[in-house]
Amino acid sequence: MNQALNVKVTEEQRDCYQEISNVAMGQAADLLARLLHVHVILPIPVVNLLEVNELRMALSGIESSNSVSGVCQGFIGNGISGEALLIFNDASFNDISKLLKYGGELDTSLELELLMDTANILIGACLRGIAEQLDVVFSQGHPIVLGQHVNLNDLVQANNYRWSKTLAIEINYKIEGFDINCDLLLLFAEDSIDSLNEKVNFLLED
Amino acid sequence: MSNTSADDFKEMHALMSMLQNLDVGLVILDRNYHIQLWNSFMESHSGKYPYEVKGKSIFTEFPEINEEWFRHKAESVFLLNNRAFTTWEQRPYLFKFKNYRPITGKAEFMFQNSTLIPLGSADGNVERIGIIIYDVTDIAVNRVELKSVNDELKRLSRTDKLTQLYNRGYWEECLDKEFKRCKRTGSTSSMLMFDIDHFKKVNDAYGHPTGDEVIKTTANILRETMRETDIAGRYGGEEYVVILINANAEQAFNFAERLRERIAKTVVHHLDFSVNYTVSLGICEISDKIVNHSQWIEMSDQGLYRSKEAGRNTSTIYT
Repeated sequence: MNQALNVKVTEEQRDCYQEISNVAMGQAADLLARLLHVHVILPIPVVNLLEVNELRMALSGIESSNSVSGVCQGFIGNGISGEALLIFNDASFNDISKLLKYGGELDTSLELELLMDTANILIGACLRGIAEQLDVVFSQGHPIVLGQHVNLNDLVQANNYRWSKTLAIEINYKIEGFDINCDLLLLFAEDSIDSLNEKVNFLLED
Repeated sequence: MSNTSADDFKEMHALMSMLQNLDVGLVILDRNYHIQLWNSFMESHSGKYPYEVKGKSIFTEFPEINEEWFRHKAESVFLLNNRAFTTWEQRPYLFKFKNYRPITGKAEFMFQNSTLIPLGSADGNVERIGIIIYDVTDIAVNRVELKSVNDELKRLSRTDKLTQLYNRGYWEECLDKEFKRCKRTGSTSSMLMFDIDHFKKVNDAYGHPTGDEVIKTTANILRETMRETDIAGRYGGEEYVVILINANAEQAFNFAERLRERIAKTVVHHLDFSVNYTVSLGICEISDKIVNHSQWIEMSDQGLYRSKEAGRNTSTIYT
């Protein structure tokens, strides 16, 4: 069935991933703050090596009963590949619309604009932050809308993923004074983890 | 030395002609949204030569671009030095180009995805942005078709073929949702269950085609009598169910009586037969005693049973 790659992440490496995500996330939050003039509450990123079919568990920031909308975007470079997933609690859209200063009625197409705008900023900035620290360059594919107003489980349904394991970094963004809750999930493919670990080991040696 | 620069030049030249021939649109805009570069994809599809558009504002050359929307995206690229992506799902196209396949293509115009990339100068400021236009017509058309087929399948899988009411499975899902909504919000709704009295006799006396006609007519009367917000389903052979949203037992009873009287007055004409028939109804308002939607159905069924006991052609509130 699945290729048994037997990947591992040590405690030390995990800390390093967390630190890298912390920096990248801070840069993304800074961009968001500059664009929107708001204070972004920075959480501690959660780093996990998990089975792809446990993906649902990585989304701890979003409650499963809520209706959600999501976008995903693939990235690849220097032997490392993965996907970024941005998931919004649908209740957040009202406040995001205020923040991004879109006029007009909040309908599905406006929500899509908001989803894409936020995805562009958060995913782009986070990936760039991580790439800079690891000294790699990522190409980004076009973002794909996973679904709007759907159940979280339907959104991240693990049907026929080719890999069994993924390195998942979860960043739960909140904005001070607003009811906005979104989860950014960076998922690295199983066959990228060895290359990633190597890069991280370089950093750890310093 | 001179050799290397000649090689460099050749390489540069090769690269430029690759870019020219790339079947993807490439545009470079300056800070004022004036067009700086225009590749042959853009030239071919727009019919405008590079010298015609160079230095012109993209918004005056292409009035189809929604200026406010585009600036919103592009400003974040200038300001944040960050890429931005737009998809055909947001807006079908940025530039209104004809479909690349004018004869066999199904769409009239080209669906486009676009990427906006910051082009920095040495000091880190973004002075220009690059737009990459991808033709995604086939993907978009397929996706739209798939969605309409899926919507139709979804509708079919929820609908009872004979009556066009919801089928039992989907109706029960709706009841479960309504049950949870009532519990969460504390609002009151009722459900109604009814069946046709002595339906077996109708079938035996007039045959199944007439029996089917009776079932259809009953569904039609139900549809005409209920409010738009109520949710009706065919529960079984000659059994019907309705969720009466935000109605208490008394209101549901009034509805049931209206329905019962209308049906009792109706005569179904089919083939050479004229059939007059009645229904028995059971009503149950949601209460704290009810722990799940199945129990709600059970209690309504109990109400229906009492109507049968009471001699049929009757409505009973389960208490």
